Amino acid sequence: MPLAQTINFGTISYHPDAAICFPKGLPAFEERRNFVVLQFQDSAPLTFIQSLETPDLCFVAMPVLAIEPQYRLEVSREDLEELGLASDRQPRMGVEVLCLTIVSLGESGPTANLLAPVVVNIRNRKAVQAVAGESGYSHQHALFAQEVVAC
Amino acid sequence: MLMMSRREGEVILIGEQIEIVIAHIGRSRVKVGIRAPREMPVLAHEVKLVKDENLAAAKISAGAEITSILKKINSNASSFCVTGRKEN
Repeated sequence: MPLAQTINFGTISYHPDAAICFPKGLPAFEERRNFVVLQFQDSAPLTFIQSLETPDLCFVAMPVLAIEPQYRLEVSREDLEELGLASDRQPRMGVEVLCLTIVSLGESGPTANLLAPVVVNIRNRKAVQAVAGESGYSHQHALFAQEVVAC
Repeated sequence: MLMMSRREGEVILIGEQIEIVIAHIGRSRVKVGIRAPREMPVLAHEVKLVKDENLAAAKISAGAEITSILKKINSNASSFCVTGRKEN
């Protein structure tokens, strides 16, 4: 199994099938192409998108459907072609593509970027971050909106 | 904000170097052509949002912050195919 150096997890070994390639990088990280998708038993369903080129670049993510079970995928024709998928329909989540949402920490807690899910073609492991401009989803979807602060 | 009405095919000029062409007007969207100097980034607004969000997301470290997120997650999301193993 190949090994990768990471700042967060030390040296990890990963299954080659877990390596994914963003042919165009991600917005703001256009030069970073090769990542590995990691899930650890003690932190599932959190998923880590770890750069294979930059040990300290790691996105924390979650399966989109774990956050929004009714999520409507909206991948542009151009992105579908980039992924090597049929461009006349949306791919099936969990069957043809893996859909992850990147988590970040806002001032009022963790948020998930549902506006731009990471979409991975399961067959060829090509990935894009698909910006769904007309979907109406937020780039800062509160993960724990229902949480009540005790007073 | 300056508002202008334009028909399909008409052009707006910004300064000497930027040209905006209303290429096509559909029912719910317009197609806009933009000619600008190469060094001037042209982005859809949502791409800028995603860039900023990615930069913020890349700052999360796997330490206390992730642990605190985990504690809050009460999800029965099924795990999927790929896993990693920490080497000692």
